[in-house]
Amino acid sequence: MATTKVPEVRDITRIERIGAHSHIRGLGLDDALEPRQVSQGMVGQLASRRAAGVILEMIKDGHIAGRAVLIAGQPGTGKTAIAMGIAQSLGPDTPFTALAGSEIFSLEMSKTESLSQAFRKAIGVRIKEETEIIEGEVVEIQIDRPATGTGAKVGKLTLKTTEMETIYDLGNKMIDSLSKDKVQAGDVITIDKATGKISKLGRSFTRARDYDAMGAQTQFVQCPEGELQKRKEVVHTVSLHEIDVINSRTQGFLALFSGDTGEIKSEVREQINAKVCEWREEGKAEIIPGVLFIDEVHMLDMECFSFLNRALESDLSPVLIMATNRGITCIRGTKYQSPHGIPIDLLDRLLIIATSPYTEKETRQILKIRCEEEDVELSEEAHTVLTRIGMETSLRYAIQLISTAGLVCRKRKGTEVQVEDIKRVYSLFLDEARSSQYMKEYQDSFLFNEKETPSMDTT
Amino acid sequence: MDSVSQRVLEYLTEVEEGAEEVLTIKQQIVDLDSRRNRNREALNALKTEVSEEKVKVCFGNMFIKFPKLKTREMIQKDQEQLDKEINELRKGLKAKVNRLNEMQGKPELRGYSLSPLSTDEIKAINSLFKR
Repeated sequence: MATTKVPEVRDITRIERIGAHSHIRGLGLDDALEPRQVSQGMVGQLASRRAAGVILEMIKDGHIAGRAVLIAGQPGTGKTAIAMGIAQSLGPDTPFTALAGSEIFSLEMSKTESLSQAFRKAIGVRIKEETEIIEGEVVEIQIDRPATGTGAKVGKLTLKTTEMETIYDLGNKMIDSLSKDKVQAGDVITIDKATGKISKLGRSFTRARDYDAMGAQTQFVQCPEGELQKRKEVVHTVSLHEIDVINSRTQGFLALFSGDTGEIKSEVREQINAKVCEWREEGKAEIIPGVLFIDEVHMLDMECFSFLNRALESDLSPVLIMATNRGITCIRGTKYQSPHGIPIDLLDRLLIIATSPYTEKETRQILKIRCEEEDVELSEEAHTVLTRIGMETSLRYAIQLISTAGLVCRKRKGTEVQVEDIKRVYSLFLDEARSSQYMKEYQDSFLFNEKETPSMDTT
Repeated sequence: MDSVSQRVLEYLTEVEEGAEEVLTIKQQIVDLDSRRNRNREALNALKTEVSEEKVKVCFGNMFIKFPKLKTREMIQKDQEQLDKEINELRKGLKAKVNRLNEMQGKPELRGYSLSPLSTDEIKAINSLFKR
């Protein structure tokens, strides 16, 4: 008849994997926003980091919304790293959404829909929940049942905290719900004052020895402190997108099966906007404009760019940060040439931060940081060789060699990566230049070799 | 004592004073709440008391026979007063805690100055909170 509520246990060990930018902890700026040469995983790019720092401060203060920033630079010059740095320094309270330009092309959802979802994910709404609760440890429950079996039951409930103790008279309903939840002396419970809902927090430590045999799910908690009748205030930060989703969900059992919700009607969005604005005026909500980061922004097409233009005008708009590695190139889907592959009218609205190629010293530093991150020990000579490789081929290739060389080193049971290990992986894995050289030499023996197509323009 | 240690001492005193204030208010709330609970017990006792016209009420360390109706009125008035006082203390506590955090260089607790959502609104977006 009565069911015990088993507390949900969610304890999943998080497996940390090493990503390409996992060494970034922030922008590496001091209090005066001056960039330090090497700090928080960032190396060099002083001017662009300083610029990002200024923008970061403005975002933190909530001064700017509906602005857009473009980080432009050659491949492997730390564009994504700067965006990650901004995300890290914003802290958990400011929403940060990252997506790659190509992510929006899907058959299930229109491009503008997924863009507007991304926009709304990047706007947080802070709201407060307030409940009056009675929280205490049950000292005694006394229930008098009438001898006839029928009629009103009366009872007394004694609750205590570390500071005080009091007796509550119980009505019929309260007695029912207490016995339904199997509340007994020694339990720590809260009673919601508005609804009368009882929830068990666990058993008090002082009663831990009451029974020797105890279910595994029995939780022991301290006897509550302070007053019995408390006011609990919880501040939540939710994104506009999340509010959209629950409001567009089909009611009833169907809701269980719609895992991903797909498209959200614009009417729903408008209603939510109106409600949130109403809350803001009543002082019930604060809007936190967050950051939307679109990597590889040249992958967007004309439609998306004009949508961005429009979306930035809205008063509920986050700060948009985009990154691209293209120079003057065609706008996707058109024949028009434009700098960064972005239409001029959108470029005009952007603050542009440029990144420049790393110097040899900086490359060396970055490789060192990556070695620490990937737990590979590098000898001095190997480090120099790797830096050379990084300068001559690309930084990404050199970083790839770190972990592979580490594996080779471990295979021969060495503790420190030597020049030989680097040489070995260098011969095993081709870099981009050597690979294309190889292609040119053996072009004839490959399949589909008839056509001479122009190579991809990445400059 | 040189000026630096003088300043440190002043700063520490200030922080300690702030913390002391917060603790005092907390204790005050606890005391008021225990009085509120005692009053509530008394009201319940009055409700179950059927027999007599007058009841014995303890003032300080003396029991006085007092009319039932008047007693209830008195306690209820006291109860309202207590509710108001506790509310005010809680409001003040927030400001004090924020000041203390600021002095210690800790980030400010954001969002606690908002007015709460109504229960209906909370119910509507409750599923979001259970993450």
